[in-house]
Amino acid sequence: MPSPTLLENPLRQGLSSGRVAPPCSLVIYGASGDLTARKLVPALFELYEKHLLPVSFNLIGISRSVISDGDFRAKLKEALVKSKPQITDAIWESFSQHFHYLAGGYDDFKVYQALSAKLDELDEKNGTIGNRIFYLSTPPNVFEVIISNLGAAGLAREDKGFSRIVIEKPFGHDLASAKELNVKVREVFKEHQIYRIDHYLGKETVQNFLVMRFANSIFEPIWDRRHVDHIQITASEDLGVGTRAGYYESSGILRDMFQNHLFQVMCLIAMEPPVIFEADAIRDEKLKILQAIRPFDETTVRTHAIRGQYGPGFLAGEKVPGYRQEEGVAPESTTPTYAAIKIFLDTWRWHGVPFLLRSGKRLPKRTTEAAIQFKEPPNLLFKNNMNGLSPNVLIIRIQPDEGITLKFETKVPGMSMEARTVNMDFRYGTSFAEGTSEAYERLLLDCMLGDATLFIRGDEAEAAWAALMPVLNHWETTKPEGKFPNYEAGSWGPAEADSLLERPWRHWRKV
Amino acid sequence: MNAPSAQNIERDLTGLWLEKGDTQTQLSGIKRIYTTNLVAYASDHEDGYRVEGILGDMMQYHPGRYILVRPAADTTEAPLRYYVSGRCLSWADPEKRVCCDMVKLVAQKEVIENLYGFAFSILVPDVPVEFWWTGDLPYYSPFFENMASQLSRVWVDSSKFKDPIQSVARLAAFWNKRYPKTNLADMNWIRIQRWQALVAELFDGDWSKYLKDIKQVTIEYGEGSTPLRSLYLAAWLGAQLGWRHHQPRMNDLSKPIMFEGPKGPVEVLLKPIPAPDERADRIFAVGIVTEGEQPAIFTVARDEDPHQVIVRSEINHELAFSRVVTFEHLHSDDVLAIGLKHFEADPVWKKTLQMVGTILVHPDMSLEDKGKA
Ligand SMILES: NC(=O)c1ccc[n+]([C@@H]2O[C@H](COP(=O)([O-])OP(=O)(O)OC[C@H]3O[C@@H](n4cnc5c(N)ncnc54)[C@H](OP(=O)(O)O)[C@@H]3O)[C@@H](O)[C@H]2O)c1
Repeated sequence: MPSPTLLENPLRQGLSSGRVAPPCSLVIYGASGDLTARKLVPALFELYEKHLLPVSFNLIGISRSVISDGDFRAKLKEALVKSKPQITDAIWESFSQHFHYLAGGYDDFKVYQALSAKLDELDEKNGTIGNRIFYLSTPPNVFEVIISNLGAAGLAREDKGFSRIVIEKPFGHDLASAKELNVKVREVFKEHQIYRIDHYLGKETVQNFLVMRFANSIFEPIWDRRHVDHIQITASEDLGVGTRAGYYESSGILRDMFQNHLFQVMCLIAMEPPVIFEADAIRDEKLKILQAIRPFDETTVRTHAIRGQYGPGFLAGEKVPGYRQEEGVAPESTTPTYAAIKIFLDTWRWHGVPFLLRSGKRLPKRTTEAAIQFKEPPNLLFKNNMNGLSPNVLIIRIQPDEGITLKFETKVPGMSMEARTVNMDFRYGTSFAEGTSEAYERLLLDCMLGDATLFIRGDEAEAAWAALMPVLNHWETTKPEGKFPNYEAGSWGPAEADSLLERPWRHWRKV
Repeated sequence: MNAPSAQNIERDLTGLWLEKGDTQTQLSGIKRIYTTNLVAYASDHEDGYRVEGILGDMMQYHPGRYILVRPAADTTEAPLRYYVSGRCLSWADPEKRVCCDMVKLVAQKEVIENLYGFAFSILVPDVPVEFWWTGDLPYYSPFFENMASQLSRVWVDSSKFKDPIQSVARLAAFWNKRYPKTNLADMNWIRIQRWQALVAELFDGDWSKYLKDIKQVTIEYGEGSTPLRSLYLAAWLGAQLGWRHHQPRMNDLSKPIMFEGPKGPVEVLLKPIPAPDERADRIFAVGIVTEGEQPAIFTVARDEDPHQVIVRSEINHELAFSRVVTFEHLHSDDVLAIGLKHFEADPVWKKTLQMVGTILVHPDMSLEDKGKA
């Protein structure tokens, strides 16, 4: 059903404050957790301050911890004040006046009935007109039980207003479990009601891929196998596994970073122009890319995918432990904390162009970027005067310093014919007086507005798992060859990753 | 001092950046970034200092080429002098400084009148050009005329008009006829955006049904000032809600403004209240009363804490909703920075100004022609 919009309020029209969410209730499962306090509530507060959160808005937190409404709010306030120390009591009271908490087990049907009654009561009291969003912010082992109980309690029905479900990552543990989760969630919710989050897609620069590629005419003609030598997508972390060892031991870097974030970035770079700028048109094109990933076979699973794990080392001059020494990690663990994989897309546009994806923990710094490396220029004209020209590289930086850089050659001033690579830089923060918003702020608003463009469709999630399964299976059934852990904390990963480069002119970027 | 020419100015700017590149950042040098050209005109040299300060602040976070044109302090000074200066964004990474520049043109009044061609020659190509006329609205000025007819947008600040009501009535009456291709923007319109958003959110969702029942609107403003912002807010409400102004045109805003709404007359009262800063034409509160099946009152009012406002509604004599939000005071540099973010014409502002034109007494257009003659 179409979501009620605010267009009927003529005073909203033309205001520069932007798209305003319709009245709704947000129910968060796992509300006692870290994500709610650290990300979701601060994002809601930003929307509130920008007048984008509707006046008629309720938040209901649900988890097993038995705490009062007051304690729930106090905890959220404490977390929010850390990033927003200027919040006064009056503003906090006002922002949180429609926050409620319900304690109960996720498998206890009575809690869903109580929730349903509470939502009806709040609809009546606060004008939320039956619009509901259920946000699953629990560990994934309880997703299914929550979903089926929501269905049984009639909360997925859309007869009064909309009913949407937001599912946090990880979406499944492998292809089979993702399929199963899709089946379970679709038994209760229709695809248009399902919002699978990948918070990378909420980042401004990631969205800028689409604008850059399809709102400019200079990039598209050279965006293909004739001009591009290869593409590198890097997501590096300087942090180790920290307190998340339990989760990490059973997931590893491929599940944590590749199946979702890196594949999504690759899709946005590689996809064909969608016919219209609409959620399904864009997701159709991304899906085609995931389906075009050349399947790993017995050989390429070894030659095109390199795993790594950090040993002890130094970061910013400080000694840090290796992965196996971290708390909660098995002393013989072979969980990969680093991966580099080479992907070929069997499409007309990208035939033969390697996409080199890498991500790791305890690398020298935290960076995410995509670099499109163009082919070398025919070096005939300057070959006598210069020792090799560097190819052009277009770098799209996603974090921490969002922007775009183009590397190109210029002549060094003087009598000799000498070339040097220089950067042409565009930085988000400096060219627009406004900072970029947090990913969760954008995604929560989009979900309230019913815009699924930046969310993953079920078939995309499955296609991503399908592409990755041979590597996952291989890694989980064989021991790493050679020395393992194979890279020092604070280095750029294992030397074996160089074997993916194949050509003498290709190098992993020191980002 | 070099003779004023576009080449000399460009050369001096390049020299300036080479110097800064050497002294400030040995590593990667500096990056000059221009997202806009802003040409500002200050009508006297004292105002010139004020405007220069505002531009300096803006440069801190909105890189562009800033050109300030101001009259010389006295007639013995050279006909035209120029000064160049650079500014690097204070918060940018010190290893990769992001910088932009200002060119100040100080000229004798009669030189200024014909300076537009020169100002055009030192713009950065391919980025938008904005013109900010910082002071009173002139009856006729070739400089203004040429800038306004050739650029895509002109900024005025109606709070600086000496006769605000008359000047705004003139803008409403002549702008579109005289400069059909140029967007007019008023900083006072940006200043009330926050109030618009606050009032608008009172009528979201189910509550929008009360809009048709509005009977009376009271807008409180600081005593001693001309309530232009309040007038804009009233005209905006009228324009967005399809009201018509039928009653005789007015120039005395102490009388109620009478509109014809969908269900009969709507009275808008602009009410002065004691205010700490008498000259600032600030809005202090907006109250909206409806008379439908269920009587309702909607208010937005400043709190005792000057950084907060309270938004509330009462339906059938019961509190329906109340919210406290932060309210930041905007300085002129903030106002301009917000305004420059959007390049497109603002249709709501156009409609509002038209509505203002139907409320106020027609200006004496013969004065326009006299000025020209
Ligand atoms: N934190 C982040 O930055 C982040 C980033 C991206 C994605 N995510 C995803 O977002 C979801 C929530 O993240 P989070 O960091 O908030 O998680 P969390 O703190 O580990 O868990 C959230 C809540 O779920 C409940 N819970 C924990 N373990 C449970 C179990 N075994 N069975 C049932 N309930 C359990 C707990 O509440 P009660 O014990 O009170 O019921 C807990 O407060 C996860 O799926 C995570 O993968 C998190």
